[in-house]
Amino acid sequence: MTGEPARAASHRFATEPETVERDLARLALTIVELLRQLMERQAVHRVERGDLTADEEERIGTTLMLLDDRMTHLLERFGLTRDELNLDLGPLGTLLPND
Amino acid sequence: MTRDIALIDVLDRLLEGGVVLTGDLTLAIADVDLVRISLRALICPVEATREAAQP
Amino acid sequence: MTGARYVYAIGRPLDPAGLAGLRGIDGAQVHQVAHRDLVAVVSAAPHDEAALRARLERLDELAVVARAHHAVVAAVAALTVVAPFRLATIYQHEHRVCELLRDRHQRFEALLDRLAGTVELGVKLYMEDSPPAPAPAAAGGSGRAYLRQLSQRHRRRDTEWQHAASTAERVDTTLGAHALDRNHHRLQPAHLSGVSGRNVLNAAYLVSTARVSEFAELASRLAKDEPAMRVEVTGPWAPYSFAEPDGGQRP
Repeated sequence: MTGEPARAASHRFATEPETVERDLARLALTIVELLRQLMERQAVHRVERGDLTADEEERIGTTLMLLDDRMTHLLERFGLTRDELNLDLGPLGTLLPND
Repeated sequence: MTRDIALIDVLDRLLEGGVVLTGDLTLAIADVDLVRISLRALICPVEATREAAQP
Repeated sequence: MTGARYVYAIGRPLDPAGLAGLRGIDGAQVHQVAHRDLVAVVSAAPHDEAALRARLERLDELAVVARAHHAVVAAVAALTVVAPFRLATIYQHEHRVCELLRDRHQRFEALLDRLAGTVELGVKLYMEDSPPAPAPAAAGGSGRAYLRQLSQRHRRRDTEWQHAASTAERVDTTLGAHALDRNHHRLQPAHLSGVSGRNVLNAAYLVSTARVSEFAELASRLAKDEPAMRVEVTGPWAPYSFAEPDGGQRP
């Protein structure tokens, strides 16, 4: 069937420990990623409004930078890609945006 | 119609389109079921209907 | 579920020769159940209800059932006007199917009259992926510079998205004006459809059979003016998205 991602066939889970751990990691990291994106959005919004001092910008920017870095490392550790972090809420769409 | 029709397009129509009736149906796909079995829910795997261990 | 019937569609009476050799779910022979000038296109439903329900929750098996269902609908749609059913509509006995036809006779009549001589065309618009902005410099860069880059990235994405949304709306409105009816499906995320670009419109249009190529050409033309847009026209489909017995969703 054309157009179907290879991952489609492997959506069923075995119950080996590593897979369970990976799935839990995926869930936990999805939540962390949601929070990170929300913080990022909030920070950008405030920068654009111009209501941050240079100092605050430096601190917030560094925090976000480190957070993103941390996320990258966690993903590597569990063999996940950022695309895999998402939750489907059915009619409500996905938790994280799809771009 | 050939096999080149994308599954996702078929499911868009079969799961959310078509005549829907209640009454004597033993396997009507209600909205709640759609959340469980929709293509999207299956591919984003963190949901309730995990497979039991294979025999 | 002995005697249970899986229903694929409602239609006008068919020459039985047209159904010869047509197989449905689990290879069951497709036949028609008639009441006056309406028929239900059915086959013997799978015996084990619980097993079927379980199958429908697995993507690979759902795909098999869905394609079998669709193949029957498509085959019958080539022979007569049909109102396709949603997946997995089952009645306990054939006489219940007759009752269905009898009780809903008027509404089905009206539906088939409305759908006669029409097909459904799907139009999907994709916004092509812009080259990814270089990830804001990590270690070593200043926090302020990082924040500025993030801000730029967000702004650019917002502008692109706004543009895509307004294009989608424009295309949808224009096509809708050339169609008998229109409906929308959920946008398809790239990781599910497996195609590039971001889906910004996933619409279905009810079009008279005679105007299919004209409509498809119009859809291509509308997208061609937009450099970063790609259009995909699917179908003709049997009118799945317009099978509401009480009328369509004409905006």
